[in-house]
Amino acid sequence: MNIKLLLSDIYWVFWREIKKFLQQKARLMMVVIQPLIWLVLMGNSMSGLTRNPQAAQMLGTGNYLDFMTPGIMIMTALFGGVFGGTTIIWDRRTGYLNKMLAAPIYRAAIPLGKLLSIGLQTVLQALIIVIIALFLGVHFKTGIPGVIALLAIAGLFGIIMGGISLSLSSRIKSMETLMAVSNFLTMPLMFTSNAMFPTNAMPAWLKGIAMANPVSYAVQAMRTISTQGWIWHDILPALAALTGIMVVLVALAIRLFSKSVN
Amino acid sequence: MKTIIEAQGLTKVYSGGILAVDNVSFSVNQGEIFGFLGPNGAGKSTTIALLTTLLSPTKGTATINGIDITKHPYQARLELGFVSQDLAVEDALSGYNNLRLQAGFYHLSRTEVHDRIAEVLKMVDLTGRSKDKVETYSGGMRKRLDIACGLIHRPRILFLDEPTLGLDIQTRREIWKYVNTLREKNNMTIFLTTHYMDEADSLCDRIAIIDRGVIKTLDTPTALKEAIKNEVENPTLDDVFLHHTGKEMREDFTTKEESFKARNNIRRARR
Repeated sequence: MNIKLLLSDIYWVFWREIKKFLQQKARLMMVVIQPLIWLVLMGNSMSGLTRNPQAAQMLGTGNYLDFMTPGIMIMTALFGGVFGGTTIIWDRRTGYLNKMLAAPIYRAAIPLGKLLSIGLQTVLQALIIVIIALFLGVHFKTGIPGVIALLAIAGLFGIIMGGISLSLSSRIKSMETLMAVSNFLTMPLMFTSNAMFPTNAMPAWLKGIAMANPVSYAVQAMRTISTQGWIWHDILPALAALTGIMVVLVALAIRLFSKSVN
Repeated sequence: MKTIIEAQGLTKVYSGGILAVDNVSFSVNQGEIFGFLGPNGAGKSTTIALLTTLLSPTKGTATINGIDITKHPYQARLELGFVSQDLAVEDALSGYNNLRLQAGFYHLSRTEVHDRIAEVLKMVDLTGRSKDKVETYSGGMRKRLDIACGLIHRPRILFLDEPTLGLDIQTRREIWKYVNTLREKNNMTIFLTTHYMDEADSLCDRIAIIDRGVIKTLDTPTALKEAIKNEVENPTLDDVFLHHTGKEMREDFTTKEESFKARNNIRRARR
């Protein structure tokens, strides 16, 4: 294997996805508007909660928006990543996939380039959320290094969801089915996590699920960084678990994709 | 004359057990326009998918400019350009960027990319529109851009799978004009499939007719027509085609399920 050529192939697949992403004006608008709505609407309607001292204690912060910002970042990463596989189905349908496969490029470069672009898109979206949150008065305790860490975790999570989606798209050939399966996955993942509500406020059975849900690891690590500080014994295990999950899913996506085109 | 494509016992059995291409052998000479004709589901697209390394053969092999497609698919890809029937260009990007992307896929060095793009744009007369987004192009322009993409790495052989599908008669003529120029000016070998017999007749040096995965006949258009003179008066290529493939419409699989599967497989191969 020629690493230089592999990297070049990944780069061009990535370049294509990013160029297309930047061309879609309506999609870029949504990237800004969606988190804005979430933060302003949810933030306002839920801020009453934090006036209740017991609730404030459960949230671990006096400001619901502080609590919620990492949750919104992960939710955006989740929704962005989980539809990443649709691009493969689309490429298969338009014939562009065959065009790439007839070229002398490494097969693995196709899923890797797409995942990288999903990662970058997620980071950009997360950055926009941070900017909006700053305007709304959210305080990031660890400052710029903390924000960089938040963006990195969001990107990591986007790649995880993209890995799931790309793996599915190697087996599922119809857009409708992939959309249905993706929706089926995202809702439970979201609502059985600590993204919106503190686990302390959950019934015991839901708390158990929430603790095992990878969405919660990501949100918890991010929340610790943004509201409490660099508490490494909280952050590191979550990061290790997320990295492990990512490696497995990326490998699975490459394997299933390579099998599907042979 | 130099042989540039040599298929030897090429066979493809799909996972459902359907024999799409059955022990096919033929050769294509350098610089000729080779027509590959057949009814729907005859094995045309599968053969192209095999020769362009999109599928691997169950048995047999082929060489592209002397390179074995099963042993060295990577090198074989450098020798061939593939333009599918799908019109696979990126609407959201400019014509130039479509070609830039294609040049990236073929690892062209940064110093030669610009000249190479200018060269292929000129070949298909799109120089003036290269900065415009492809979504503003007409159908014929898109097809020409797609062909330019297939030419970016200066392949020796260009595979054109039904290049005039869905285009009006004026645009079809225009595309054929470009195909002819490519052969004449660049000594390129062109392997094409089409459903338009008149076009195959006027363009192709030699024609193979495939049906049910088997090559029925292979010769120059004139010789093919000559051969059935006793049966039909003033035969056209349409008559030749019907003579070799029969007059019934194709539903050539015994059960519904089988035919569905076969269609699905062919579709999958094309994608």
